[in-house]
Amino acid sequence: MTLRDTTLAITDLPLFAMLRTRMNWHQERQRLLAENVANADTPNFRPHDLAPLQMDRTQMQFASLTLERTEVGHIASSDGASGRFAMSRPGNYETRLTGNAVNIEDEMIKVAANQMDYQAATTLYTRSLGLIKAAIGKS
Amino acid sequence: MDFLKSIAIAASGLKAQAGRMRVIAENLANADSTAATPGAEPYRRKIVTFKSEVDRALEAQTVALGRIQTDPSDFRLRHEPGHPAADANGNVKYPNVNSLVEMTDLREAQRSYEANINIIGASRRMIQRTIEILKS
Repeated sequence: MTLRDTTLAITDLPLFAMLRTRMNWHQERQRLLAENVANADTPNFRPHDLAPLQMDRTQMQFASLTLERTEVGHIASSDGASGRFAMSRPGNYETRLTGNAVNIEDEMIKVAANQMDYQAATTLYTRSLGLIKAAIGKS
Repeated sequence: MDFLKSIAIAASGLKAQAGRMRVIAENLANADSTAATPGAEPYRRKIVTFKSEVDRALEAQTVALGRIQTDPSDFRLRHEPGHPAADANGNVKYPNVNSLVEMTDLREAQRSYEANINIIGASRRMIQRTIEILKS
């Protein structure tokens, strides 16, 4: 099979696919953190967080991740774009009288970490693109 | 785009906290609003409630102000015989608003508001990072 017969998109490269998964994960996490902060004063609200992303061999072969509905109130996602990552509920050490367990400081730290990791992923993506450009002589 | 969802969720938080501040301002402004006649009740303190609602379009739990309720606690009594609202004993009912409590509540609302603004800022920077991939 010659190169002309196969079209290999940049997004098919494992590195890019992994970075894309990573970026999706951060995007999803950002949404959950926003939810936590918005509901910081809602009675009986418990914060959510995503389970850490694990890049094992099965996922690197682009098996699509399926949605996990850990609670009745969860909405099934129509496509695989959102809600693909397992949610975890960390045991919180602060629950206020209203039954709300959101700790704003904790959430702020998570948001900052999430943002920095996302930045790292996008920078890596940019660098990888640069590498490919250099390889095809269009730097 | 999911980041816009994050911003929309944070915006719902901003709106709810702003509503809370509005009610607190109302309480503080009326901290001395007595009735005009002896039998009538003075201003009664209002309390906001938050409720989490599932936004179908966003597929997320946003926050909204629930029903604004009134505080059923007793009014403050002050002895002011000359006041038009004074009863037979010369006592006037003052609103059950405690400025200290309101100020504490206001600070908390402000803190939550700022946290939501932080989320918007972080999400915006993340969007910018994504756009910068295109520029490379």
